[in-house]
Amino acid sequence: MTRALDLAQAALAAADGEQAEAVVQSEVSGFARFAASEVHQPTLIENDMVELRVVRDGRVAGAVTNRTSAEALAELARRAREAAERAPRDPSFPGLAPPSEPPAVEGYDERTASLAPEEQAQLAREAIDAARPFGLFGYVTSGVTEIAVASSTGIAVSQRLTDASVLALAADDTASGYAEQASARVADVNPAGAAREAAEKAAQTRGGQEIELGRYRAVLEPYAIAELLEYFALHSFSGLRVLEEASYFAGRIGERAFDSKVSLADDALDPVGLPKAFDFEGVPKHRVELVTEGVLRGVVWDRATAARAGDGTQSTGHAVRAEDRSWGPQALAVSMAAGDAKSLEELAERVGDGIHVTRLHYLSVVSPREGIVTGMTRDGTFRIRDGRRAEPLVNLRFTVSVPELLAEVPGLTRERKLVNRAQWYGDRYPYGYVVPGLATACFTVTGNGSAPGL
Amino acid sequence: MRKLCGEAVDAALAAGASYTDARAVSERSQHVSTKEGRVETLSDAESEGLGVRVLVGGAWGFASTRRLDAAGVQAAVERAVSFARAAPGSHSRALAPVEGATGSYRTPVERDPFSVGLDDKIALCLGAEEAARVPGVKFTSASARAFRQRKHLVSSEGADCEQELVECGAGVDALAAGDGLFQQRSYPSAFGGSSAQAGWEYVESLELEREAPRVGEEAAALVRAPECPSGVTTVVIDSEQMALQVHESVGHPTELDRVYGTEAAYAGTSFLAADDLGSLRYGSPLMNVTSDATTARGLGTFGWDDEGVPARREAIVAEGVLRGFLTSRETAAQIGSGAGGSMRAETWKFMPLVRMTNLHLEPAEAATLEDVLADVEDGIYLSTNRSWSIDDKRLNFQFGTQAAWEIKRGRLGRLLRDAVYTGITPQFWGSLDALGGPETWRLYGLTNCGKGQPGQSAHVSHGAPVARFRDVQVGVRP
Repeated sequence: MTRALDLAQAALAAADGEQAEAVVQSEVSGFARFAASEVHQPTLIENDMVELRVVRDGRVAGAVTNRTSAEALAELARRAREAAERAPRDPSFPGLAPPSEPPAVEGYDERTASLAPEEQAQLAREAIDAARPFGLFGYVTSGVTEIAVASSTGIAVSQRLTDASVLALAADDTASGYAEQASARVADVNPAGAAREAAEKAAQTRGGQEIELGRYRAVLEPYAIAELLEYFALHSFSGLRVLEEASYFAGRIGERAFDSKVSLADDALDPVGLPKAFDFEGVPKHRVELVTEGVLRGVVWDRATAARAGDGTQSTGHAVRAEDRSWGPQALAVSMAAGDAKSLEELAERVGDGIHVTRLHYLSVVSPREGIVTGMTRDGTFRIRDGRRAEPLVNLRFTVSVPELLAEVPGLTRERKLVNRAQWYGDRYPYGYVVPGLATACFTVTGNGSAPGL
Repeated sequence: MRKLCGEAVDAALAAGASYTDARAVSERSQHVSTKEGRVETLSDAESEGLGVRVLVGGAWGFASTRRLDAAGVQAAVERAVSFARAAPGSHSRALAPVEGATGSYRTPVERDPFSVGLDDKIALCLGAEEAARVPGVKFTSASARAFRQRKHLVSSEGADCEQELVECGAGVDALAAGDGLFQQRSYPSAFGGSSAQAGWEYVESLELEREAPRVGEEAAALVRAPECPSGVTTVVIDSEQMALQVHESVGHPTELDRVYGTEAAYAGTSFLAADDLGSLRYGSPLMNVTSDATTARGLGTFGWDDEGVPARREAIVAEGVLRGFLTSRETAAQIGSGAGGSMRAETWKFMPLVRMTNLHLEPAEAATLEDVLADVEDGIYLSTNRSWSIDDKRLNFQFGTQAAWEIKRGRLGRLLRDAVYTGITPQFWGSLDALGGPETWRLYGLTNCGKGQPGQSAHVSHGAPVARFRDVQVGVRP
């Protein structure tokens, strides 16, 4: 029994015989955020959140607290009960999840969990020193998160997970480069290495030029493809959005839509990622095939959307936190199959004439049904000429149809990278995408932006 | 709360801090959302804790804890001080002077939103949904929220103040789909409606049920509407989309921490430099933007910010020229003017950051929408945000709206779908050539302004009139 599960069981007990589900999310984390090579925004957090969902005669409601005394949990149960009493009956509610043994996953590292604030500061120092003469902007963070679900149906599961990541933007007034590393184990994260990668990239970006607007072939580094996929996933990989016909996948399951080199899955069990054993309804995680060799295979579901979909659709273990549930189930562990290219340089050879994109900025979904996304490139955009990375470019505005971008893929790298996607809003829930570098025949540039640098 | 804050400040000073402040916060929020005539979310959440900020040897430390007892607070102080002592950097920080804030502030409220039963909130949402469900609409949704934050700030420089901020809001959406298209209309604003610092009387004033049929009819019509054509044209933008335009292309670039580069790794920097103050031409002479933490019903309204600096109103852009930045005490000292006043943290867990409070585009003396449209021979009227993206220096933006209408010979014509417009911030604002008057000025409150690492969501408000811009690129497609 873990501390979080103890707390979840106590909250469930406070519900006093109701049909109920308690979810606990505990966090001890440290954040050393730096700018211009100086830590300016440190944040050390300790918190426990307890959510109690009560079902009364087909009426469902939840309450949340971070007070954990017996009195506070009794008060929590009272508020949840009162809320449920005021709710109308929901005939579509599928009931609380039955108990099921979650898979064994990795993802907890004692060394990472015990990292002291001084050690987090020291890791930040190593990154900062390695980036010179550039100033370094970004962060080093590590934390331990504990999630537990207990329910009146007999669920009693918990998981401790650790994470550590470094984000490094090396920059001065006329240059900027980017790199990041993430892992469940702090020993696998090399802050100085990430900072050096960012600084080497920055040194190549001075004098960025504008280019003609239009369609280009392009190489996207893992940082860029992960972010692009995340914005596509928000609508297109969610069962809710399929039901609402707002997903590109709506009505297209079984179609060959992408290049045969493109295979995508959501795989929270992958030890390369940040593994999870179950979702926020206590449903076990398993690998979900989204796209197999270019054919659209499926999307992710939670219990409510699976019930609405009917036809025997089951939850795939992708319920998110209650506060985010209006977004529907989410694919937070997207994994893209590797290709056969030895390196990003080989992808550039396959592209021949095009552009190289390191990282994206401020994406927005223009049309969810069509999978159209806009945003900017930044911190390392280059022209590719004669199969080699050439002169630097200014930051470019792109407006792309993700399905078009994936329709012709000259190659993917053999090596894949875990790219952190958590922006650390709200309660800590580390997650990331495992992706290779990707070459595409269709990347549409719709504007020239500012030059690299601060 | 006050006692624990005092203990934290005393402990931090004893541990060697040259400056410290402690902020204890308790919050409660209710959220109701309905979709397709059934309750989707019904939640009642509370959270409490204390955050302590220290300056030790010129370096910041910050730690937060939910444990509101002497041991929890002492442990947080020790962690904050330990981190500050180990923090890499040269660390020379000054804070602009401020008189110690004392007293209390409360949001004026006629009807406490927490006194309104959850069943009434559900009925409001279901009623709005029902009214939006007109032929051609495939899905409807509605939401209502209530939020209360109580906080107490004590600092080593004499701040000792308490505040109670109360918010509520609501919105309704209609979605239509067909022929591979997905279209949406929202009221009063996209992405969860609009909120205000006020009592439930604000939600009642929105009259969701009255507006919902129009929302539904427009959503259904959008599926049948032609696509917005591409080209360079005159655009007239409604006050809701103007609120977003002000937020992204004036609010964020005038945050002085971004100008100094401290957001470079995430939200980005700014095309503005500190020495642009007083001289940079931001836009046409019609452009007047004001930061006002005293605005009635504004989500950024307070007695004092989270550094104890009192609320005030100040010009950011006057007659098109940059006249002010949004500042903290630290950035105000750095630039050598002002006293801060924009520092806010989302909650007790996080360190305060420079955030917009309420930032407004001021209206013309008098002009209706019809007046603004009148001398547009050929153009596009844009309404309600749908998508938004802007570069890391806040120069190159591309925004989409839920709906658009042709403007022909000074009058609105056909409805158009999938409208997008793009521009470069100072050129765009330089093309502003007409503003609506006070009757077109609306205040919108949004609760999802992201910034910082770890990320924090700020609640901010913007008031804006309808506005007209010449020579704008519309209709960008891949």
